[in-house]
Amino acid sequence: MFFKKDVLADVSEGMDIIVVTGTNGKTTTANMLESALTESGQKVLANKSGANLLSGVTAEFCCAAGGTGKPSGKIAVIECDEGALKQVVPLIKPKVIVVTNLFRDQLDRYGEVMHTLEQIKTGIEKVPDAVLCLNSGDSLVSSIALGVKNKVVYYGLDMPFGDQNPRVVSDAIHCVRCGAEYRYNFYTYAHLGDFYCPNCGYKRCRPEVAVTSIDQMDADGTDIQLVAGGEEYSARIGLPAIYNVYNAAAAVAAYYAFGSDVGQMIDTLSRIHSSFGRMETFKPGRQPVQMILVKNPAGCTQTIEFLTSLGKDYVLILGLNDRTADGHDISWIWDADYEKFAADPHVLKVYVTGDRAEDMQLRLKYAGLAEDKICLEKRTENLLETMKTSSAPVFVMPNYTSMLELRKLLSDATGAREFWEKQE
Amino acid sequence: MELKICHLYPEVLNLYGDRGNIICMRRRLEWRGIGCSVDLLRIGEKADFTQYDIFFIGGGQDFEQEVLLGDLRDGKDKSLIAAVEDGRTFLTICGGYQMMGHYYETHDGVKCEFLGAVDFCTVGADVRMIDNYCFKLGAESGGSTVVGFENHSGKTYLGAGVNPLGRVIKGNGNNGEDGTEGVRYKNVFGSYSHGPILPKNPQLCDVILESALVRKYGKAELEPLTDSFEVQAHDAVYKMITGA
Ligand SMILES: [Zn+2]
Repeated sequence: MFFKKDVLADVSEGMDIIVVTGTNGKTTTANMLESALTESGQKVLANKSGANLLSGVTAEFCCAAGGTGKPSGKIAVIECDEGALKQVVPLIKPKVIVVTNLFRDQLDRYGEVMHTLEQIKTGIEKVPDAVLCLNSGDSLVSSIALGVKNKVVYYGLDMPFGDQNPRVVSDAIHCVRCGAEYRYNFYTYAHLGDFYCPNCGYKRCRPEVAVTSIDQMDADGTDIQLVAGGEEYSARIGLPAIYNVYNAAAAVAAYYAFGSDVGQMIDTLSRIHSSFGRMETFKPGRQPVQMILVKNPAGCTQTIEFLTSLGKDYVLILGLNDRTADGHDISWIWDADYEKFAADPHVLKVYVTGDRAEDMQLRLKYAGLAEDKICLEKRTENLLETMKTSSAPVFVMPNYTSMLELRKLLSDATGAREFWEKQE
Repeated sequence: MELKICHLYPEVLNLYGDRGNIICMRRRLEWRGIGCSVDLLRIGEKADFTQYDIFFIGGGQDFEQEVLLGDLRDGKDKSLIAAVEDGRTFLTICGGYQMMGHYYETHDGVKCEFLGAVDFCTVGADVRMIDNYCFKLGAESGGSTVVGFENHSGKTYLGAGVNPLGRVIKGNGNNGEDGTEGVRYKNVFGSYSHGPILPKNPQLCDVILESALVRKYGKAELEPLTDSFEVQAHDAVYKMITGA
């Protein structure tokens, strides 16, 4: 498809737009925002299909515009690739930009994280009127506020969570301003937490939208206390794991910055169910099969910590491909904490599948998992049979293209709709 | 028996699953009843280098290497060169490998002085050499084939009389020109292969462990292990790269 250069600026003119960017959690955060806005009675334009580059965003607006030249709704929630932000935001002039987090991803390139940070900054410098919602506990993300004119709303956890040991492997060890090593008052996950630089004084800002306690966390969701704009709320997030607590806080912050009713967003969060492999549940047999996309060490370790904390028996399927959309370099699996699976007696069996299943099998052996618990299975029809007949819940942890394959397998078997058919 | 490993700069040189090399060495010692301890040595921390049998140095991001060079010049450089001459074992990968040579010269002529522990240098190039690749180890390193993943834009050129770690079968290796990959000098093993290099190439891992055991105890007889998963993973990638 070819478009006139300014067509995106033309069709989006006069709309109120929220843009979501960052390494992990874009789709979930955008889903939360879209659902809340829709439930409040608005007609919302969203790029649900994950087309988050300039071409995809443009196509989305143009399709919605149809023959009239303008989309019928006045509101849009747009998920945008970090690298494409600088092309997209000057054209659509968003009211709010949310940045979720920055992790190492697609490890085919050196200096990825710093480069991504620069690209996001370049984009934001072009739209000084947009309100930024920044993850206060991510030293990389919150550094975006340094040297830009935009108004900032910080969000995040205002409390420690999980393992408090100093991080040996981290995506942000040194101060982005001066290079000194950060110290932490507490950690939440990966390099996120209450960081400060002992040399130049750069530190976490107390979040205006803050999770102040996590009361209950299980496979179906999380109960939290949250403060936004000085008001206290009890919230149920209908998605499990700590990263979804961050996604929820990001969504609340954006909703707040957008000028919408936070109470109504809190209400929506309890009814949110993730789609497109982020944490989707299928029922091909007696037991639930839950799919959790993993694509980098931080997200993968977080998923492992979540599963090993459940305290109930389960079967695992790990899918690893190395195609272009996944990144050809799969070495990141050695940085994720598969050792925790070896220490969890509730892991009944682990199936490895995909183009690089042999690498995953080897990783598990060196993680300390007994070899007879590991089963290499590249034939997906056999995997489906395993899922149908399993006597324990199954968790599937695929990377991107492996997720597409396994999701198709499961949706064909269960009649689940494709993600782009989701009704508004 | 016990080997002491020093993991240098784990907080900065930790890209691309380098941690897998440490996990691999530790496990393969443990499975044979040989003790293994790993000390992490970060920027600003001091240690007596003569207590270590193996040094591991991984790859890192460009912007963080500046911080690191300052720390090296603060005394660690001399201790590391002494350890190399003393026959201690080094496994160095990517950026860590480049660091063992004389310098890195960027494309626009800026020279970054490195350790100079081994006679080679690296020059920045336009093209990134990035993909799965494989090479055949020299006889002194066991002669097996190694599969890995290379990702570097620096081209490394070995000094006259310095042996490569191996000869490229498919891929680029040191510079994409002379067919060499990595370096082997005394007990220094340098390679562009992250991925990480050791788990899928258990014979290389054992050669490295043996070099340290021989230096420390005068002999090394590593019991063979059941390497079926290792061989499967090696062969799958080898087949993918060479089609054979
Ligand atoms: Zn600082």
